[in-house]
Amino acid sequence: MIHVENLVKWYGPTRAVYNISFDVPEGQIVGFLGPNGAGKSTTIRMLTGYLPPTSGAASIDGMDVTKESEKARRQIGYLPESTPLYMEMRVEEFLHFRGKLMDMPRGDRVKAIDYVSDRCGLQQIRKRVIGQLSKGNRQRVGIAQALLHDPKVLILDEPTSGLDPVQIGAVRQLIQELKGKHTILLSSHILPEVEKTADRVIIIAGGQIKADGSPSELRQRVGQGASVLVQVKASSESVQKAFAGVEGVEAVEVHQQGEWVKAVVKPKPGSELRERLGQTILTNGWAIREMRNETASLEQFFIQITADQSQVAEESVA
Amino acid sequence: MNHVITIAKREITSLFYSPIAYVVLALFALGSSLIFFNAFAPSMPASMQATFQGLVWLMILLLPGISMRLISDEFDSGTIELLMTSPLTDTQLVLGKWLGAMGFFLTLLIPTLVLVGVIEAFGDPDYGPLLTGYIGLLLVGGFYLAIGTFASAISRNQIISYMLTVFTICLFTFVIFLLSRASFIPLKLQQAMQFMFVNGHFEDFGKGILDLSRVVYFVSSTAFFLFLAVKLVESKRWR
Repeated sequence: MIHVENLVKWYGPTRAVYNISFDVPEGQIVGFLGPNGAGKSTTIRMLTGYLPPTSGAASIDGMDVTKESEKARRQIGYLPESTPLYMEMRVEEFLHFRGKLMDMPRGDRVKAIDYVSDRCGLQQIRKRVIGQLSKGNRQRVGIAQALLHDPKVLILDEPTSGLDPVQIGAVRQLIQELKGKHTILLSSHILPEVEKTADRVIIIAGGQIKADGSPSELRQRVGQGASVLVQVKASSESVQKAFAGVEGVEAVEVHQQGEWVKAVVKPKPGSELRERLGQTILTNGWAIREMRNETASLEQFFIQITADQSQVAEESVA
Repeated sequence: MNHVITIAKREITSLFYSPIAYVVLALFALGSSLIFFNAFAPSMPASMQATFQGLVWLMILLLPGISMRLISDEFDSGTIELLMTSPLTDTQLVLGKWLGAMGFFLTLLIPTLVLVGVIEAFGDPDYGPLLTGYIGLLLVGGFYLAIGTFASAISRNQIISYMLTVFTICLFTFVIFLLSRASFIPLKLQQAMQFMFVNGHFEDFGKGILDLSRVVYFVSSTAFFLFLAVKLVESKRWR
């Protein structure tokens, strides 16, 4: 449904997006994740026909976004990053305006406005002036206008930024409900946001794709090499010595905490340590209060990638 | 064409929500009455020729107040992104904006009809020149607003776009008016300048003469600036 091939965007001497390629099949929810300035919005703006790519191509439902821009734009419902709306208009008036621009006849418009008002919880505020609405309600209006013409592809740029947790929950639920009816691309710089709603996460930093896969796949990738955390009552030297001798251990790190010792044991790739570590503890007769696999979260993975961004940016200048 | 009307309608509505529109409306009504009553005296001809001439000068300052926000506002608030990602061409956008401003300009002219009533009450006006005079005002207004539409696409700052519009209109009015009388300018160049002079072209309309070449002058220069505005909006995509 969305096809992106080697998309590149330079703003003068600054490289914003470099060689991004991905495909989104129909019906999938894709989370576009990256720190601020990673190139998410730039990529989205090229997809929606707002910005022309420096090179590369993108198409929506088989229609090229530059060569058949108007046709491609018809397939897209788009919520821009800052939710730009006409502040002096009333909600319903604004939705009519959007519907007219999408060439919807009056009858369809009335029905569609009813539908999206229900969907996005706008029924109570249909007659209100947009400028007087709260940020959360404006965001709903923004999503409603994107949904209005029942587009095949829904592109939401940071749909939850600036909302409170309750509103974030509501938007997340709304996106879940839309699943299956639309192909959805949503961007965010907050990981849990994307992790919970998306079937697939594309992590982008420094204008390039760093990882692409389902949240569980990504977690698995991160999970490999996760260390085991053990807390036993013993002296740190003996723990260090005993654990280092266990088969499959790559490194041991110990911290004395009062009479307890906290050990972080890093396994060699592919080894499962917990059973053998348990055996060692039993043999030594230590008291134990904790042993767990320290699952590296996606968060850590994300932070790690994000931290690399500044480095990448420097390379691009050189 | 539907898109043009959609954009134009929204523009007129939003103009009525902006305070600047009311300031322009009030000043235009006040200015037109002052100019009118300045020439309103017993034994004077029952016409609005002097009023029309004065309005053409007054419009230099007032119409840019309407046009300054047309496109700059869309860029400033980010709503341009909504428009440019809709199936809407840049030409439709520019035409719609200009047409919306024209709609508001028509509203500005309505209070001046009271003045026509005054002449009717005190004299026996000739309606031919009145009609051509209003046609002329519309053509001049269309031209000024086209310059304004163009200028509003240059900067997202409304003040800059206002100043730029006034400056450009002055090139076609004050500057030409003064330079074409300066002795150091060669005669041929003076004549060429005379041809660009807005008020010179307008004069005939006030007198009741509907000269096609005058109409062509206004229509083509309006089209020229609207074309520039479209090109400017297109170029914004490439930045």
